[in-house]
Amino acid sequence: MSPPVPPSRKTLLHLYAATLRASRGFSSYNFRNYFLARTKDAFRGIQNESDPAKLSSFYHAAVEELAVLKRSAIVNSLYGGWKLVVEKDKIERTRGVN
Amino acid sequence: MLSTLRRSTLYVAKRRALARATTSSVPRRTLVQPSGADRASIVDVPSTYQDDNLFSPRPDMLGFKLEAPRREGILKDKARPIYLDMQATTPVDPRVLDAMLPYMTDQYGNPHSRTHAYGWEADKAVEEARKARRTRLLCGMRSQYTFFFLFFEQNIADLIGADPKDIVFTSGATESNNMSIKGVARFNKEKKRHIITTQTEHKCVLDSCRKLQEEDFDVTYLGVQQNGVLDLQELEAAIRPDTSLVSVMSVNNETGVIQPIKEIGAIVRKHRGVYFHTDAAQAVGKIPLDVNEMNIDLMSISGHKIYGPKGIGAAYVRRRPRVRLEPILSGGGQERGLRSGTLPAALAVGMGEAARIAKIEMARDHATVQRLAQHLIDGLESRIDHVVRNGDVNGYPGCVNLSFAYVEGESLLMALKDIALSSGSACTSASLEPSYVLRALGAAEDMAHSSLRFGFGRFTTEAEVDFVVEKLVATVQKLRDMSPLWEMVQEGIDINAIDWAQH
Repeated sequence: MSPPVPPSRKTLLHLYAATLRASRGFSSYNFRNYFLARTKDAFRGIQNESDPAKLSSFYHAAVEELAVLKRSAIVNSLYGGWKLVVEKDKIERTRGVN
Repeated sequence: MLSTLRRSTLYVAKRRALARATTSSVPRRTLVQPSGADRASIVDVPSTYQDDNLFSPRPDMLGFKLEAPRREGILKDKARPIYLDMQATTPVDPRVLDAMLPYMTDQYGNPHSRTHAYGWEADKAVEEARKARRTRLLCGMRSQYTFFFLFFEQNIADLIGADPKDIVFTSGATESNNMSIKGVARFNKEKKRHIITTQTEHKCVLDSCRKLQEEDFDVTYLGVQQNGVLDLQELEAAIRPDTSLVSVMSVNNETGVIQPIKEIGAIVRKHRGVYFHTDAAQAVGKIPLDVNEMNIDLMSISGHKIYGPKGIGAAYVRRRPRVRLEPILSGGGQERGLRSGTLPAALAVGMGEAARIAKIEMARDHATVQRLAQHLIDGLESRIDHVVRNGDVNGYPGCVNLSFAYVEGESLLMALKDIALSSGSACTSASLEPSYVLRALGAAEDMAHSSLRFGFGRFTTEAEVDFVVEKLVATVQKLRDMSPLWEMVQEGIDINAIDWAQH
C-alpha cells in the first residue's frame, strides 16, 4: 500500500473552520466551550506537524469527529434548556415605565 | 330529504334568536374599563413596609396586577446553576450519546439472541465496547484517498490494562462492589471468614461488609491517617490466614484522596489466597490505572462517573489466576454466569465510548481539572480566612473538599442556589449527619459539618470557577457576620475552651 497522501494546508483549515462552526452549534454552555477549546488545541497542536502519516491520520480522525459533533450539536440544541448563570445577561430588561 | 334539511336550518335559526334574546338582557362582558382615580381610594404603602413583593401600579396596567404566566421554557427568565458536583455524576458526553443513539433507535436487538442479525449487531457492539481494541471499517466516502481506513480505538478493558474477557457489565459500581465483596466472601466461606476494608469506603462497600457480618463473617475496618491515606503497615498487620478479601477504594468520593493502590496490591499479592478488590468508580478515566501492574484482582467501575450513561457499570474479575465468585443474580448465565440478565446494549456501547474518550482525554482533562482546582483554592484562600482543605493535598484535584470554619455547610449550600454543590456524598446528602469520611480523617465535628465538596470535570470552565469564588466569598462573609460564634472568634475567645453545657 502506498503511503497516505497528506491533506493540504487548505483542506485542514477548511476542516478547522467547519469543526469550530459545529462546536458553536451546541446550545449548552459547557459543551460549546469545551469543544471550541478542544478543537483549537487539537489543530494548534498539529499546526507545525510535517509527518504525512501523522497528518493524514489526524485528518481522518478529525473528519469523523466533525460528523459526530454536527449530529451531537443538533441533538443538544433540540433539548436545550435554560442558560447557565454565568452566561446570563446581567441587566434585567423590562418593558414599560421602570 | 329536502324537508328535513329545511327543518334543521329553521331549528338552528330559532336557537340563535333565543340566544340573542337571553344575552341582551344581561350586559355582555367586554374588555375591562379602568376606574378613575377619583373613585378609588389610593393609600401609599407605609415606609416601614419592607416586603419584597411590594407592588407599585403603572398606568399601562389598567389597575390590574398583570402577571404573564411564567413559562419555564423562557430562557432569559431562569438560569441553571453551575454544576460542581462531578463526584455525584457527570454529564453524558455528546460523543457518547451519539454512539448510543443507533442502539436506542434502529438497532434494538437483544445482544444474546444468536439466531438473527438484530442480535448479532447488538452483540458485536457490546463486545466492541468491552474489548481492548476494535477495528472500525471506515468507507472513504468523504475523502477520496482513503478507501478503507483502519481506525484503532481503545475501550474499557484497555483503559485499565485488562483482558476484555475479564470485564463483566453490571448496573453500576454499587452492584459491582456488592458482587465482588459478597461474591468472594461467600465463595470462600468454608475456609476463610475474614475481610479487610477501610473506614472511608463508599456506603455500598461498608453496607456489603455489614451484611456479611450478619452472616458471621469477621470484618476489619482499618482507620486512615490524618490525610486520609491508609497506613500500609497497619494493613499488613491486619491480614490473617483466614482473610479472603481486601477492599480499598482507589480515589475517595468525598475527599479525592488517592490510596497507594500499587503498594497495597503488592502487599496483598504476597499472601496467597487473599484477593484485592478496589472500588475505582471515582478513579477510572481520571488517574492512570493498570490491573496487572497494580495486582488488582477485582475492580468496580461506574459508567456515569466517566461521562457515560447512568445504569451501567463494570466489574473487572481476573481470570488468570482465576478469582471465583458466587453470583448474586441467577438466571440465563450471561456475562460468564456472574451477572445474568439481558445486557443493555445501548448503555454498554455508551460506556465503551466513554472509556475510549476517557483514555484519549485523560491527560488533557487532568490538566484542566488541576488548573481549575488551583484557581479555586487560590481565589478562596486569598479572600477568606479559616478555610481548611480536607484530605491529602496530593489527591485527585477534581475533588476539593473545603471546610469553612464558623459557617454551617448546609446553610451555605442553601444560600448558594446558583451553584450545584454537595457537602459530601450524594447518597448521604439527604441527612444532616456530618460525613463519616471526614470524621474518619479526624476532623472535628464542627469542621465536618461545615464542609463543601467541589467537583470539577471535563466541561467545567474558568468563568464558572470565577463566579463560584465571587459568590462563595460574599456568602461566607454574610453568614459569618450573622454568626455569634464568628463574633466571639473575632473578639479572641477560644471556642473550644467554652463549656457549653452549663445547666
